[in-house]
Amino acid sequence: MEKPLDELVRLQGVGMVYQSSRDGERVEALAGIDFSVRRGEFLTVVGPSGCGKSTLLSLIAGFAAPTSGSVLFEGRPVDGPDPARGVMFQEYALFPWRTVAGNVEFGPFARGVDAATRRARAQTLIDLVGLKGFERRYPHELSGGMRQRCALARMLANEPTLWLMDEPLAAVDLQTRIILQDELLRLWGDARAGAQRPTVMFVTHGIDEAVLLADRILVLGRRPGRIKEVLEVDLPRPRAALRGSAEVARLTAHLWELIRDEAAQAIAEETQ
Amino acid sequence: MTGGMTRPLSRRARVLLPLSVLLVVLASWEAAVQATRTQGLVPHPGGVLWSGAQLTANGVIFQAMSGSLARVLIGFLFGACVGIPLGLAVGAFGTLDRALRPVLDALRSIAPIAWIPMAILWLGVRGNAALFVVAYGAVFPFIVNSSQAVRQVDRRLLSAARALGAGRWVMLRSVLLPSALPMIFTGARIALAFAWASIIAAELAVGIKVAGHGRSVAGIGQLMVETLYVKRDVDALVFYMLVVGLVSFAIDAGLRRVQERLLPWKSH
Ligand SMILES: Nc1ncnc2c1ncn2[C@@H]1O[C@H](COP(=O)(O)OP(=O)(O)OP(=O)(O)O)[C@@H](O)[C@H]1O
Ligand SMILES: [Mg+2]
Repeated sequence: MEKPLDELVRLQGVGMVYQSSRDGERVEALAGIDFSVRRGEFLTVVGPSGCGKSTLLSLIAGFAAPTSGSVLFEGRPVDGPDPARGVMFQEYALFPWRTVAGNVEFGPFARGVDAATRRARAQTLIDLVGLKGFERRYPHELSGGMRQRCALARMLANEPTLWLMDEPLAAVDLQTRIILQDELLRLWGDARAGAQRPTVMFVTHGIDEAVLLADRILVLGRRPGRIKEVLEVDLPRPRAALRGSAEVARLTAHLWELIRDEAAQAIAEETQ
Repeated sequence: MTGGMTRPLSRRARVLLPLSVLLVVLASWEAAVQATRTQGLVPHPGGVLWSGAQLTANGVIFQAMSGSLARVLIGFLFGACVGIPLGLAVGAFGTLDRALRPVLDALRSIAPIAWIPMAILWLGVRGNAALFVVAYGAVFPFIVNSSQAVRQVDRRLLSAARALGAGRWVMLRSVLLPSALPMIFTGARIALAFAWASIIAAELAVGIKVAGHGRSVAGIGQLMVETLYVKRDVDALVFYMLVVGLVSFAIDAGLRRVQERLLPWKSH
């Protein structure tokens, strides 16, 4: 099996300690992360609640700097966010004062792309994510699934090299999630060959989702988050056809084995 | 759910019932005043109607109203021009907040109307004193709401905008400002209500207009003082009170409409 080995993101000894400004309490969210994200791969990230998955993504996005180690993107240290690294959040984070079209246009608008070009690009993406006819709606008028389509189109409008997605489908119902998984794969290029695909880093709590979408699965352990395991998913693409298949079920069961105890412990700690 | 154990009223009854109660009250009020011969001391509906018609016909009410409204508008605009930038800055920069808070809190605690004697001393009674009081009262709701709006901006929206490539200017104009706008608008409604309440109080306190100085425009408050002390027309007084209430209702309703037009993303 041929995989592009070129690395897009490199994490070297990355650690992150949050310090509360109120009581000075320290929370170690990540420790000793050494990892590389390959160009063009679909990487899913799983791990118990609070293990630092969102923190990892926000370090790569450039929202925060690690307290130790370094984060490299295309060989250069990350300092601050960049349109090349697109971000999608669990809670949509759409601009409520902008319509669907206005939200999708925001990236090109912020980067000074002229109005005609960005309108055209926004319209293309709106059609692509299936929001045709909803261009003039405001986010509060949309369903959860439609909001996430809009957030996806907004991220894609900047044509980012890396898609950083933090539980983007966690808030939608199961049927919508299945449909959106398929569409996400289609937009990413599930049916195309590997090299020209964008790179995706996709955090999820759904272990079946993690298996179905991924080329590789990054499994993080309990706080402070460390790398517990990296699983290769050697299943053929396109993946939509494999939904519910025996191979996927087997890998899902294996993944569950890996994280079950830690998940239970994390819950026990949280409820103490 | 409403109506307790009784059946819900029909649409016609819902309109007719309160209306007829109102008519009965007004009629018995009128009759009582007529019977006790207390006209001149106690207002009565007929007199209010008559005074109202006269004051409308000879334009007195419009003149007074436009004087008051002009001052409210100027004071309100002044409050917005000073209060919004100041509030945004205070909300955005913690140091500035630290530095200015004691002063702002102290000034805010002094009721605008308490400034009247000083304002009269400095600015005279020609309407400028009232204007000062109105501007003073209007500025604080703008400061408080604008600063609060900036502090409450959704951090995720800021992150999203930064990741999409927003620089400082786009951030300020296209993210911070629109997200602060609904709350600033609420501040504007409070400011306008404040301004309208304090203009009446200020004009009452300033008292009867000084005649013969062409420049002075008497407001509704001054007109009320004159009506009380010089004309002793209780019916006209009540008419003025009704107009004052009506205008403040109309102003707020108008602002609400503007808000709906300007901020269509908010479900009001
Ligand atoms: N801004 C912050 N300040 C202080 N502590 C934080 C901050 N952000 C995260 N943390 C803490 O760091 C740890 C990791 O948080 P993070 O959100 O990265 O976990 P997560 O794996 O994304 O969790 P979940 O699965 O629940 O989304 C948690 O203990 C969290 O409380
Ligand atoms: Mg998270």
